[in-house]
Amino acid sequence: MSKTEEASHSTDAFEIWRQLYDANERAWSAALEQAMGSREFGESSGKLLETLLAAQKSVRESMRTYLETMNVPTREDIARLGELVVGLEEKVDQLGDRLDGIEEALRAKRAKSAQ
Amino acid sequence: MTTSTRATWPDAESLWSSNDRALEMARAVLGAADAPVGLTPKELIWRKNKARLYRYARPGPATHRTPVFLILPLINRAYILDLRPGASFVEFLVGEGFDVFLIDWGTPGDEDRALDITTLVTRYLPRAVTAIRKATGKDQVTALGYCIGGALATCFAALHPEVTRNLVLLTAPLDFADAGQFGRMTARGIFPVDRLTETFPTVPGQVPDIGSKLLNPIANYMGTYQRLWQKLGDPDFDVQGWQAMYRWVNDSVPFAGAAFRQWIVEFYQENRLARDMLEMDGRPVRLASIRCPVLNIAASRDQIAPRATTGIVTNRVGSRDASEILIEGGHVGIVVGRTASQNLWPRVGAWLSEHD
Repeated sequence: MSKTEEASHSTDAFEIWRQLYDANERAWSAALEQAMGSREFGESSGKLLETLLAAQKSVRESMRTYLETMNVPTREDIARLGELVVGLEEKVDQLGDRLDGIEEALRAKRAKSAQ
Repeated sequence: MTTSTRATWPDAESLWSSNDRALEMARAVLGAADAPVGLTPKELIWRKNKARLYRYARPGPATHRTPVFLILPLINRAYILDLRPGASFVEFLVGEGFDVFLIDWGTPGDEDRALDITTLVTRYLPRAVTAIRKATGKDQVTALGYCIGGALATCFAALHPEVTRNLVLLTAPLDFADAGQFGRMTARGIFPVDRLTETFPTVPGQVPDIGSKLLNPIANYMGTYQRLWQKLGDPDFDVQGWQAMYRWVNDSVPFAGAAFRQWIVEFYQENRLARDMLEMDGRPVRLASIRCPVLNIAASRDQIAPRATTGIVTNRVGSRDASEILIEGGHVGIVVGRTASQNLWPRVGAWLSEHD
């Protein structure tokens, strides 16, 4: 029996998996590409995602209610604090930008008066 | 000679060899999360919120005048351009004598739910460029954007032509009139973008990651392991290289809710940039406002940023010096694949030298 024949009759699970993949990859990919390229697939996956999101939202809301009842800060509370810090950092950056602008204008003025 | 059609039991040697390979495979996959990546020495020179701007260390002064500013996508880790020694675009650029800077967007948290692309382009990138100008004493930079980072770099170059010496785009989707499978998946009325961003302040990295992998599910979900299985039989196989890449592919970053929404609605669904309808902070963002030299690099087998989405820039920019290089390969492969160091990197390096 040839080596190829021998391999094709192997009971080694990994080798069987590799052969199965090699033999079918192209056909599987083509079939899936065709199926997933359709509008129907897009609509169906959109609906699935919406359902999962509705479930997730419900879990999040229940958890928030529970934490509020227990007087424990929620994710939203902590995020709000974070937003304040990020907002403050932006204000400091804006002040820095204005200072840079003033410095640049002064430098230009000095250079002009030196001429 | 008779041929048996019955299954034959593997002999002990092949059984144990197969078993060893399976264990090696498990070790390679499980150990990938700790693969060393992003090893080129760098210094932090500016930060804002989660974003960090790094300057890569050089053995001596840069031999090129214009600093190169790398702008990365929002959904991937920044180390893709500095994967590992010998497979690092950053290391190549530093070796060629460029002063290299990279913005790492970091990992957004729930507090960044209102952080949109407009803010990144009008508040983060200009300040990062100011930091580069202060650090180098140079007035202009080369903005080099990869994927979504390319779209950000394009918007920046359109709004700030005075500081953009050159614009280099690596597989950057800009025109979404025919955005392929991604376009169909994110179409208005199909993709629940509002519900998604209402539910999650930051869209989990798995969402865009699954979307990318579904573009070629068999190859991405099964082929990866099948190829690893085959390569483990090769004594020259570089397991660490495979692990670094595997780590990056699976190391997705959450997308700030407002940025994700703007990317899907204004770029994918409404195609505002290509239709000259995009505004940021009340200012029009027009491709025609880009007057610097432009190099657009496209990948022939790119499913994430198909050719139809990347080709627009060379015809629509206001620059007279706009060229395109088409490279054989996929979206990630052309940047970090085995042939990148012989194909893409030297061509980009030569173009940057010519336009210094």
